[in-house]
Amino acid sequence: MLDILMPLLLAAALVLAVVGAFRRIAMWRRGRPSPVNIMKGLTSIPKRYLVDLHHVVERDKYIAHTHVATAGGFVASMVLAIIVHGFDLASGILGWLLLLFTAIMFVGSVLVYRRRINPPARLSKGPFQRLPKSLIAFSVGMFLTTLPAVGLMPENAGSWVFALVLVVLVAWGVSELVFGMTWGGPMKHAFAGALHLGFHRRQERFGGGRSTGLKPLNLDDESSPLGVIKPEEFTWNQRLGFDACVQCGRCEAVCPAFAAGQPLNPKKLIQDMVASMTTGTDANYAGSNYPGQTGTHEVGPGGVLVAREGKALVDADTLWSCTTCRACVEECPMMIEHVDAVVDIRRHLTLEHGETPGKGADVLNNLIATDNPGGFSPNSRMNWATDLELPMLKDRDHAEVLLWLGDGVFDMRNQRTLRALIKVLRAGNVDFAVLGNDERDSGDLARRLGDEATFQSLAKRNIATLAKHSFDCIVTCDPHSFHVLKNEYGDFGGHYEVYHHSGYLNLLIDSGRVSLNKADVGTVTYHDPCYLGRYNGEYDAPRSVLKALGLEVNEMARSGYRSRCCGGGGGAPVVDVPGKQRIPDMRMEDIRETGAEIVAVGCPQCTAMLEGVVEPRPDVKDIAELVADALSDTPAPRSHADNKEPVEVVA
Amino acid sequence: MAFEAMFEPIQIGSQTIRNRVVSTAHAEVYATDGGMTTDRYVKYYEEKAKGGCGLCICGGSSVVSIDSPQAWWSSVNLSTDRIIPHFQNLADAVHKHGGKIMIQITHMGRRSRWDGFNWSTLLSPSGIREPVHRSTCKTIEEEEIWRIIGDFAQAARRAKEGGLDGVELSAVHQHLVDQFWSPRVNKRTDQWGGSFENRMRFGMEVLKAVREEVGDDFVVGMRITGDEFHPDGLDHEEMKRIAAYYDATGKVDFFGVVGSGCDTHNTLANVIPNMSYPPEPFLHLAAGIKTVVNVPVIHAQNIKDPNQASRILEAGHVDLVGMTRAHIADPHLITKIKMGQTDQIRQCVGANYCIDRQYQGLDVLCIQNGATSREYMGLPHIIEKTKGPLRKVVVVGGGPGGMEAARVSAERGHDVTLFEAKDQIGGQITTASRAPGRDQMAGITRWYQLELDRLGVDVRLNTPADEATIKDLRPDIVMLATGGTPHVTQVPDWGFDPDPEKSLVVSSWDILDGKVEPSKNVLVFDTICEFSGVSVADYMADKGSKVEIVTDDIKPGAAVGGTTFPTYYRTLYEKEVIMTSDLALHKVYREGPALVAVLENEYTGEMEERVVDQIVVENGVKPNEELYYALKSQSRNKGQIDLEALYAIEPQPSLSESGEGFLLFRIGDCTAPRNTHAAIYDALRLCKDF
Repeated sequence: MLDILMPLLLAAALVLAVVGAFRRIAMWRRGRPSPVNIMKGLTSIPKRYLVDLHHVVERDKYIAHTHVATAGGFVASMVLAIIVHGFDLASGILGWLLLLFTAIMFVGSVLVYRRRINPPARLSKGPFQRLPKSLIAFSVGMFLTTLPAVGLMPENAGSWVFALVLVVLVAWGVSELVFGMTWGGPMKHAFAGALHLGFHRRQERFGGGRSTGLKPLNLDDESSPLGVIKPEEFTWNQRLGFDACVQCGRCEAVCPAFAAGQPLNPKKLIQDMVASMTTGTDANYAGSNYPGQTGTHEVGPGGVLVAREGKALVDADTLWSCTTCRACVEECPMMIEHVDAVVDIRRHLTLEHGETPGKGADVLNNLIATDNPGGFSPNSRMNWATDLELPMLKDRDHAEVLLWLGDGVFDMRNQRTLRALIKVLRAGNVDFAVLGNDERDSGDLARRLGDEATFQSLAKRNIATLAKHSFDCIVTCDPHSFHVLKNEYGDFGGHYEVYHHSGYLNLLIDSGRVSLNKADVGTVTYHDPCYLGRYNGEYDAPRSVLKALGLEVNEMARSGYRSRCCGGGGGAPVVDVPGKQRIPDMRMEDIRETGAEIVAVGCPQCTAMLEGVVEPRPDVKDIAELVADALSDTPAPRSHADNKEPVEVVA
Repeated sequence: MAFEAMFEPIQIGSQTIRNRVVSTAHAEVYATDGGMTTDRYVKYYEEKAKGGCGLCICGGSSVVSIDSPQAWWSSVNLSTDRIIPHFQNLADAVHKHGGKIMIQITHMGRRSRWDGFNWSTLLSPSGIREPVHRSTCKTIEEEEIWRIIGDFAQAARRAKEGGLDGVELSAVHQHLVDQFWSPRVNKRTDQWGGSFENRMRFGMEVLKAVREEVGDDFVVGMRITGDEFHPDGLDHEEMKRIAAYYDATGKVDFFGVVGSGCDTHNTLANVIPNMSYPPEPFLHLAAGIKTVVNVPVIHAQNIKDPNQASRILEAGHVDLVGMTRAHIADPHLITKIKMGQTDQIRQCVGANYCIDRQYQGLDVLCIQNGATSREYMGLPHIIEKTKGPLRKVVVVGGGPGGMEAARVSAERGHDVTLFEAKDQIGGQITTASRAPGRDQMAGITRWYQLELDRLGVDVRLNTPADEATIKDLRPDIVMLATGGTPHVTQVPDWGFDPDPEKSLVVSSWDILDGKVEPSKNVLVFDTICEFSGVSVADYMADKGSKVEIVTDDIKPGAAVGGTTFPTYYRTLYEKEVIMTSDLALHKVYREGPALVAVLENEYTGEMEERVVDQIVVENGVKPNEELYYALKSQSRNKGQIDLEALYAIEPQPSLSESGEGFLLFRIGDCTAPRNTHAAIYDALRLCKDF
């Protein structure tokens, strides 16, 4: 009986899977076009799966091993089962191999089962609680079914009841594991996930690359929507990416807004995107909700994700809670791009309706009118530095370094960082110059708030300004400017060698252009800015500078690529969505846990957020300040033209 | 950005100033080496530049000529090339920190003293005597006029060669230029007096000569009055005409405007408004001048805090604010604004200790900041944490000495407990601040309160400390600053008794502290003649008492400084307080419900009597020494301060000696009655090395 039923079962499962796959693909393809090389994408999947994806998965050793056993066991078992049972080719080693792999899969399934007995809050429940049982059903059923094939059990052993049980077990298994992949069960992640690896909208991410710049909107194309409000306005491969979500909740566990009790949960957001493509409701979602939110939500009238009045699937506040810190993206084993989705919808809200909440609209108006978010007179950009008599690039034929000052020029706290940086550059006889009043806001804030038009206007004008001058590289103490100049101006023709000041200071120290005393500041920890760390992979330079100062960094539990955002990115402080606690307070708690007296930072935004935490608390010092304070009096060899004596002012 | 208006740079002539805050010209009395800018002078201005001040105009009344005496006030002497290298030191020190420095230059004409040094014959357009300095003078001759015009030009050259950024021609405070301007003192009938153009001629020739000498790349400004406040002097409309007349030459880069004339005691008090004045009382005069000139206008008079400065600048009344006393109280004012530490700014309270010392020819010091102008000695504005042992410091008494001792010790990183018997800190400052128009004295305490909170000092109010409470804390150092009590027992015949029912006299403290209600008909006997006596008289008159204030000194309030006794006199006269001098309180006796004060004439010995309801005695302070003598023998250092180390601003040797027991120091009035500055200075120089 089994030898008739099994092949039928497997064939039926495969047919159903194929039908499901076409339906699923058709669903994804209802999104907007996105150019991807299909063949190249398909062939790249195995390597991306084994290298890039596994690189993320293996951060959790337990689940990595479990997944290797379960998934590896299943894939091998399934292929072998088709051969052994589908084509009745049990001869020789194949049957034994099938036994072995089902056994391995069984072990993995038991581990999955154990994980699900008391699952951490970040894991979704619902059908995912069923999955380990399905896995066990398949592995046990297939194991037992295969025993006769290798002669360990007589053919037709046991009663028809036993055979029926085996059929039911295998049927249960293949339903979940084979056509469940394409019809929408928990195993959907395998199918969508594999294809997402191949057709990912950021192909540059794979093979050790990095792709963190936002994709530009084509503002000249009148047919393309300004951002996204309906699910079909995402590109098809974004939709594919959403569908790959396995609801593991790693994103939820690292999301600073979620932890702060703001109404954002990246996992729920992605699941809402999935719901928007399928049922249109979040009724079936079985994970943690957006903090503070209850009840079911549905796609709004006209198929919108976010309603301008009343409720739809997602509240606008959910999208405005995001700090764009990329912690979710960094942790996602399925390589989903949460931040892109957030900004896409923000673009619609801002560009189509001007509904940037909080102070967002004011800030954007300021940027439009004055080229800086604070609405300061564009001619007052250099007011802070009158006494420094900075060399202007427009008075120079060429400079080694263009010092990009950023909008921190309007902030008295950041002015201290800038002064410190300039003191160090002068001590190192660096030939630098500034743009002065010709510099504009980099556009970072406008872009993160969804105002792509203002971003592009700022970017294009900055690029035009930069094109008029000759310099070797750009140095900035603002990781946001750094990121935009380095990664986002390229789409508009601006290609530069850009250094964050920590990287440049590290070069100066390494090459002996500045000599330092040991810093006598007590114990230190270092806070990685998101736009330097996760966005640009720069974790070493700041630490190396601190080391050169003789400082040993007491690392926080959340540091490096797992650094927790200060709460200052993505315009979050501007829109200021309320939560239960403030993100910088949580971050300061991380800092306090190290026992450090000083937290070294490398970002004006981080400085502002962390210094906003009520005292007593560790002092916040920019890397540049620590270096400037430790400058040795021994002058470095003089090699460049700037003859200005360093101006010493307390602040 | 907060205080944005303060931080907008401004162009003055050839110079860009980094912000809108100026330390305006005042006489420092530090140019002690024959008028050279000494190390002390340089460090004083360097501290302001380091603290972020945009422009320092130094050297109030710096002289250009040999016959304008400078030694009385140790002002800067620009009549010799010897000054040039000294200026270079000064310019370098300020420029190093991004600041700009200019100097006021002047010939003081009749406004000086002749009875010393070169015994110069003072000069004035018409030889009219100057009352404040009681100075007589000759009528200036044509040759002298031209010599002095030349001296101005040479002085400006010296400033330029010394690397300074500019000069300010003083045409204010009744110096020679405005002596020519003012018809009150210029009665000439030649080409230097009479008509407007003639009265303007001297100043104009000075301006032309100076500009010719220094060229266009050097700032030349003028400081002028906005109104002399004399019926026969220059009024505001006349000053607008004068300002416009000079501005039209295009040779002036800025105007500094001061309200009020200066050649009487009463107008002098306006020039440096003390705490009894409202904020920026004469801003309208500067704003009026600004309406008629095309160059930046600076105004300084009672501008003390950043909110006030921002408000003035934002409204566009003037282009730059002078915050001169504000910088004497806290040279790091600008830095603290930029650091978001406005609460940590030690704000000038307008006590005018600085300027009142200057008018006596004494070096300018701050009543509340012991480090100001002592930077050259190594007294710090920023107290560094100690690298030595952390100690338990117990301070007894929360008056000025105790508050400063607690602050400095806590800044050093020590564990500090401050005992104060009363329900608030402040000591005698609190009492002083109760008098009318003296409330801002409490600003000194306010700053200490904020600082002690910030530094986490354990302040125990309502806690009189005795030997046991102090020793319970196992202190390493005990600072006694227990102050004193009113010395009303000195003359037994005054009839003081600790029981208020029996006592025939009350102390000024009891009145000011509100412990005793003022009666209807009051005699105040004040033998001290400082602020306390006139304050209590004013306080009681304010409450409706009929008051006679009697002193055996030369006049009531004789020891109150030159910018403050006039404001007391204004209010005392207005309240019909009778001021009597030369009489000492001999004896008091009761007659029925009334008290009889027997007063003895200092010079004739004749007795006279007053029948009053209440007699208030101000006889200064008697030190509270009990606790000191209780602890002295147990202390390691027997309570002694090493004076050589103290005066040399070096650590007390006892700090580095080991041994059992605590170190004991006493400061302030519990040693001998002195003043607020003395207590704070002693606390700072002792505790900075703890």
